[in-house]
Amino acid sequence: MASRKLFLGLTAARRLRSRAPVLVPLSALLEASTSTSHVAAATQCSGVGPWGMFLSSRALSSTRQVAQSACDAPAPSAVGYRSILPEDEYHKLADETIQGLLEKLEEYGDSIQMDGFDIDYGNQVLTLRLGELGTYVVNKQAPNRQIWLSSPVSGPSKFDWDASTKGWIYRRTGANLVQLLEKEIGEVCGNSVELS
Amino acid sequence: MLLRAGGRRLLAPGLRRVLGGGGLLADPVAVGGGRAYHERVVDHYENPRNVGSFENDDPSVGTGLVGAPACGDVMKLQIRVDESSGKIVDACFKTFGCGSAIASSSVATEWVKGKQMEEVLTIKNSEIAKHLSLPPVKLHCSMLAEDAIKAAVKNYEAKKAKLGQKGKVTAAEKAAEA
Repeated sequence: MASRKLFLGLTAARRLRSRAPVLVPLSALLEASTSTSHVAAATQCSGVGPWGMFLSSRALSSTRQVAQSACDAPAPSAVGYRSILPEDEYHKLADETIQGLLEKLEEYGDSIQMDGFDIDYGNQVLTLRLGELGTYVVNKQAPNRQIWLSSPVSGPSKFDWDASTKGWIYRRTGANLVQLLEKEIGEVCGNSVELS
Repeated sequence: MLLRAGGRRLLAPGLRRVLGGGGLLADPVAVGGGRAYHERVVDHYENPRNVGSFENDDPSVGTGLVGAPACGDVMKLQIRVDESSGKIVDACFKTFGCGSAIASSSVATEWVKGKQMEEVLTIKNSEIAKHLSLPPVKLHCSMLAEDAIKAAVKNYEAKKAKLGQKGKVTAAEKAAEA
């Protein structure tokens, strides 16, 4: 076990000397274990900046030009949309949407007087507690230009901005974020709600 | 404490906001809220199973690489498939991410071992999340683990198909030469 190299979690090796298994930083993880093509696949999905944040020693440029044929590993489903939606526009749209949800849900909560209904907005994360029925979490995922939702009914989903319909769409199902929440919350609480 | 320290230093801003909001990366002994990682998650972190790497070029190996460092989550899940039976005989993973992500991918490797490829495609993120008692904000980790399994199977089948084509070409060449 002496040469066992594990990378778990986000910590650097020095933090874990006391107890945990030997950890190696992310760059070593990728160098040791993956071929260049996998690194390319990873960067293909993540874009430029954030990757550079973690691996200062490696020069990884935007690799959208790296052909799929170069790597056997499949590309993750979230392709970098940073080139399509500029960051400040994304934040404006996402903030508007989430603020809108917050207001409407607060009104809704006041009107239905439901036990255990609690809505909280902190650190740009919207948390809607529906007592025993579950908790919704809506947050921004800026690097991917997405809004992420965690629903006690439909589980996790990731929404991308769709300019044609002016809405946030979950590509796997085609669902619209606001409509999905309206439907689910209405059913869960037994009272229809309008969130748009 | 380890996770918290790691989280503060190396998280991408986006992820920090997510975790900061939920307070889920807080020290398990922290005051207020009393939220902690479920003991199964801690177990997978402290006693990691199946951490490692298979040779990428090995034809019996399928590799699923999902996630993005910008999101704070990258999972590499590999399966070794027995060609004749289509059974997954071994699996390993390496994950960059929070405790829930590590545990989710660790569980995934445990669950795929000994199963048929078609069978593991039915593993649902909700099952992983339930097994680990993941809080709402961490459901995304279990989804990523489900995606990793599917990606690994897809990769193995793609490789197999490619090798199959190469085999056909060689056979055609041989026929041409004959």
